[in-house]
Amino acid sequence: MKKLMPFLLTLLFLGAIAIIFIALAKKEAPITVVTNNFEGKPLPIKLNKTNDTECAMLIKTQTNAAEVIAPDRKTWFFDDPGCMVKWIQNKPFKKKAKLWVFTIDTKRWIDAKKAFYTTTYHSAMHYGFGAMEKNSSKTINFHTMVQRMLHNQTMANPKFRKKLLGTSNE
Amino acid sequence: MNKILLNQKVIIYLSIETLLLLLATIAFFIAFKIVKNWDINSFTPNQFTLERENYLFITLVQMLLFFSIFDTIYFIYVIDKLHLFIPGAMCAAGVINANSFGVPLLLLKLFFIFLLLLWQNINILDLREKTFPYTKIKASFFIIIFLALIAIIYFDINYFFHLKTNLPVSCCSTLYGQLEGQNPLPFNLDTKLLLILFYLLFIVVFGALIGEVAFLILLATPLFLYIAYYSVTYFFGTYIYELPTHKCPFCMFQKEYYYIGYLIWGSLFLGTFFALIWAIDALLFKIWQKKLKLIAQISLFLFVIICSSYVAFYYFKNGVFL
Repeated sequence: MKKLMPFLLTLLFLGAIAIIFIALAKKEAPITVVTNNFEGKPLPIKLNKTNDTECAMLIKTQTNAAEVIAPDRKTWFFDDPGCMVKWIQNKPFKKKAKLWVFTIDTKRWIDAKKAFYTTTYHSAMHYGFGAMEKNSSKTINFHTMVQRMLHNQTMANPKFRKKLLGTSNE
Repeated sequence: MNKILLNQKVIIYLSIETLLLLLATIAFFIAFKIVKNWDINSFTPNQFTLERENYLFITLVQMLLFFSIFDTIYFIYVIDKLHLFIPGAMCAAGVINANSFGVPLLLLKLFFIFLLLLWQNINILDLREKTFPYTKIKASFFIIIFLALIAIIYFDINYFFHLKTNLPVSCCSTLYGQLEGQNPLPFNLDTKLLLILFYLLFIVVFGALIGEVAFLILLATPLFLYIAYYSVTYFFGTYIYELPTHKCPFCMFQKEYYYIGYLIWGSLFLGTFFALIWAIDALLFKIWQKKLKLIAQISLFLFVIICSSYVAFYYFKNGVFL
């Protein structure tokens, strides 16, 4: 038995190493960023396998999702336009980056800066901003949306939410 | 002046560190003389003086070892208590991550104890022989230990001087929490595989100690230490806190959890350090020390039993796993 023991223990140790290699090869980690997006066009989001870079949640639906494509062709994903605005504020490529949102009315990717936003939409992070391609009396433009996001004038703020819901029935 | 530096516990801690540095500096000068002039075959007055000084050197380093173990435990106690002064911190996790010097400092202190234990082991082997064959080796080795202590002092000063009471830090649920869907475990392991690895590696290390398979201990023990850290933080810890979302290696040092962290982490480090030293002895010096082996076995067994019993007791009490 004493002669067999080193052999058996070495086998067990090799088994432990094998487990590590199997685990390494097993499954892909969630996506947080995609590189080499040379076309600069929005990428399809792998639902439930892609992390929002700002709030860290998994993106469960493409509707109202957002993407940022940096000048170096890296692409980041967001489940809420509010998250995108919050995240990009202190980035050096803030002005040069391409911003995309997937609209809730026409169901397609459009330039986030040209989109309009409803203010009481049930968005993933409850900021209330729902991206629309068509303008209406209940929507605000991108610039206003950014200002409201930065000044905490969103549905996530209970005081402002009360004010918003008092004037809108959406 | 930084408010943290006026804290009584920090003052005591830094005073102990200064004392350690003082002891180590005296030992360093003697070590330097031994490396330079030691010759056991010589009968010069200089050699006799060195032989007498060698005993002082041994005493100083042994005191250094004793105080370093106490000092590391006290350091953890201090950073745990400092969470009351740092906004956002709920336990030592927030305090130690408050700046970039904290974690390297803690790791360095643990490594320092390992080096001192290894030194003490060489010292025991040296004193067993009439010709003191390892005196020059242990003196040279102490010079490396002294450099490690200098690094610790550097990190100590930077850590406490950069600890701000007005800047909020993250609490442990943020630090050890994870991106939704992302795996915080190493090697892309899931919890089941992590536990299989944990027990498998324990069997390998424990069995290798029984069977005295030194090379396997040297290979498997560092991996076991690494896997054990994640197992305690991300699995066994949740049973200590009785909360599936509470993942923290530091909260268990608090009174609410009966200071069990000291015993858990203490037994893990003691067991792995002694196992490694035993293996180094066996491979380098061809000496198989039974006492070292026994301490390693008892410590590792205690560690695994404590961790496992938390899960077992939770299951018997509640009828479910977390």
